[in-house]
Amino acid sequence: MSLDAADLEQPRRATADLQQNRHVAAVKPVPFRGGGFVHTRHRFVALFLFVVLVILWEIGSQTGFISNIALPAPSEAAGAMADLFETGMIWKHLSASLYRLVIGWSVGSLIGVTVGLAVALFSIVRAGVSPFVSALFPIPKIALLPLFIIWFGIGEGSKVATILFGVFFPTVIATYGGVDNVDRNLIRMGQSFGLSWLSIVRKIIIPGALPAILSGFRISASIAIILLVAAEMIGAEFGIGAYILMAGALFATDQLIAGVAMLSVLGLTVGWLISRAERWLLRWRA
Amino acid sequence: MITTTRRTALSMFAATALGLVAGAALTPAAQAADAIKIGILSLTSHSPSIIAEGKGYFDEQDLDVEFVSFQAAQPMAVAIASGDIDFGMTAISGGLISLAEKGAVRIIGGALQETPEIEGQKILVSKAAHDAGVTSPDKLAGRSFGVTTQGSSFHYMAHKIADKAGFDRSELKITPMQKVPAVIAALKSGQIDAWSIVPNIAGALTKGPEVVEIGKISDYIDNYQVTTVFTSTRNVTDNRELVTRFLAGLSKGIDDYNAAFVDKTMGADDVAAITGMVHQYVYADQPIDKAGPRIAAGAMRINSGARLNVASVEDQLKWFQSEKLAPEGVTMEDLVDTSFVEAY
Amino acid sequence: MELILDRVSHSYGNVEVLNDISLSVGSGEIVCIVGPSGCGKSTLLRILGGLEKPDSGAALIAGDPPADSLNPLTYVFQDFALLPWRTVEGNVSLVLEDHAIPKDRARAIIADVLARTKLSEFAGAWPRQLSGGMKQRVAIARALSVNPAVMLMDEPLSALDSQTRDLLMDDLVDLWGQVGFSACYITHNLAEAVRLGHRIVMLSRRPGRIREIVDIDIPLNERINHPAETTAIQRRLWEAMRDEARAADRELSDVA
Repeated sequence: MSLDAADLEQPRRATADLQQNRHVAAVKPVPFRGGGFVHTRHRFVALFLFVVLVILWEIGSQTGFISNIALPAPSEAAGAMADLFETGMIWKHLSASLYRLVIGWSVGSLIGVTVGLAVALFSIVRAGVSPFVSALFPIPKIALLPLFIIWFGIGEGSKVATILFGVFFPTVIATYGGVDNVDRNLIRMGQSFGLSWLSIVRKIIIPGALPAILSGFRISASIAIILLVAAEMIGAEFGIGAYILMAGALFATDQLIAGVAMLSVLGLTVGWLISRAERWLLRWRA
Repeated sequence: MITTTRRTALSMFAATALGLVAGAALTPAAQAADAIKIGILSLTSHSPSIIAEGKGYFDEQDLDVEFVSFQAAQPMAVAIASGDIDFGMTAISGGLISLAEKGAVRIIGGALQETPEIEGQKILVSKAAHDAGVTSPDKLAGRSFGVTTQGSSFHYMAHKIADKAGFDRSELKITPMQKVPAVIAALKSGQIDAWSIVPNIAGALTKGPEVVEIGKISDYIDNYQVTTVFTSTRNVTDNRELVTRFLAGLSKGIDDYNAAFVDKTMGADDVAAITGMVHQYVYADQPIDKAGPRIAAGAMRINSGARLNVASVEDQLKWFQSEKLAPEGVTMEDLVDTSFVEAY
Repeated sequence: MELILDRVSHSYGNVEVLNDISLSVGSGEIVCIVGPSGCGKSTLLRILGGLEKPDSGAALIAGDPPADSLNPLTYVFQDFALLPWRTVEGNVSLVLEDHAIPKDRARAIIADVLARTKLSEFAGAWPRQLSGGMKQRVAIARALSVNPAVMLMDEPLSALDSQTRDLLMDDLVDLWGQVGFSACYITHNLAEAVRLGHRIVMLSRRPGRIREIVDIDIPLNERINHPAETTAIQRRLWEAMRDEARAADRELSDVA
């Protein structure tokens, strides 16, 4: 009993020693070195920065510090935007562009995913097709525009085709890259349970490649918007790209900025939609 | 604490960067008193300044000239505004008017002019359209008309044809193709129905079976001032003497051009010498014996003394404004300075 | 039904991994295969389940599997192999979907196996929400749902911490008490083998040969009450394996 008691005393004495030692050497806390390198969410910083920049820009334009040849005032660009709404032209431009974007992007993505899956699943297709994809992907589709015009006409065909081709290649690459990265063990598991080939593709390979395919979509959607301006260079009466090109030709910089702002809003909207799709389709992820 | 300062620093940086960009665009291009830069396109109509330089007319005016080549008229106007070049010569476009409104450029003289006695711009249709019955410009209603960009001179001509022929402007489907070669390709392949163009290009096109000529622009636009000479507003206000000397040199070049190519009153040797000078910039990728006839073919008159048809310019300005391709507030005074040359 | 390995040898390139192995897994029997790392245990299991063809010898089935067995030879993997985009229920359902089972029948099977593996309340959970032990329970539930004739278990507890492992071992013993499944159970952990195996087959280091076969006739559910006997067996096995394990540890590995 007494021994146990002595054991219990032990730590207490140790702290007492420490207290006493304090007079000899000062006791201080261990310095904290673990701070920083952590992302914290600042929701309104971007908005705030944007507003501040626009205000500075407006002030610069009003005072003449920024010449109106170099850059129109934001209020002028807003005026051009307001004109678009007033005349209802914005809906003509938007609907024309959206039509081209939606058809070009969805058909390009659909074919891209299909070809990407074929490349990933059949080694004969991979051997045959993937060198072509690698060779054709870096070609600026704008360079092919004259050919597209001969093939598809100056109507909607060549515009949709430009976007479609621009979307197709990154989608193929994202898809087969995604399939290549699907956990082999999951596929082996499927085989070990006697799942059919189609079931393995549908239930294991495609969902497994989905995150990569969706990030591919994010990129291909941006490419589609970039190509919109190029696509509407030829024979387009309406469309955001045509509007921007016309503004450039007329040196109407207020309209130019308004058009570019429309493209930005379009890009943000598309990005937001894809984020929503990701959140829903990949809800199984953390 | 630290994050706040960092954020402010960031926004300050962004603001400074913006200021720098704007500031850079504002800085006037450094230029010696007598060194000037002239923007040209590789077209015969730009030869007067080439001839003036070659024959030393600019030297007489104590001007040291450098030529800057452009692919299209629009960037030339912008380059004047930015101070990269001093003088240019192109068609009146929406961009030019817009830059005039912003106080950057000013028209100081006239150049290419449609005159009844000299072959002028032609109205062309594709073979398919011709076969479908478009045999004269009056029948263009409901057809597509190729232009480089909206607000280009082609756009103006198309609407003037509609006005005179008596159908609504909206019945012509204006089809922007960005570049002249693209319009040519589209016309040849029948993807657009009609176009209008200077006689030397028109002549080359109608030689083939794909394109048919159906009329002349001069029947639809009176005394059309096709191209003008322009410079920066700064030159007009601060450097009037320089502008005067440039126009004096240019005028002598214009006289030689008209004598050599339009009126053909010049001796063969002199014509050959002038053709040689022009060839350095026009059709330079072809040998002289091939390029020579092309340079001379279908040359249109350039107003002697750079006379300016103000009525035509005003008509064009009104058209731009009626089509909302130029700001409503622009006046003729914003656009043109008539004090340098004879205006009529 | 009995699963038999008949004189199986196998090489990868020049490296012989299995040499003349014969063994059988009888109905309701758990056969544990132990051996130092790199002795070809996993290869042996792949051959047993038909995922790999042996160079010589054969994997054979004697007798017919039970008529209601959807997938007679069913694996349980060390890394669980759950589809992260399917819930617990969905992962079990995956292996039933190809078999044209009526919907309510399938639902009944799923409910039954989840109950047996104590997962009923987690039916709607995503794999990422589960601990390692729970994940392996899902994998075992999935294996049970196809009513396997033999379960081929490849180090099923090796990725788990020792407490979870103990819990899961108890659960497996309970489960065997209820279902009486047969299994070929691969492990490098002798304690697991001694706790779960009716028979323990010890392989030598590469090329794997059968070194020793030990039958333990203490019923599974009573082994916990016979610590002395089981510890003795475990010790004897370890004595036999120690030098092999040490040598194997020092070998350079270039075999899959």
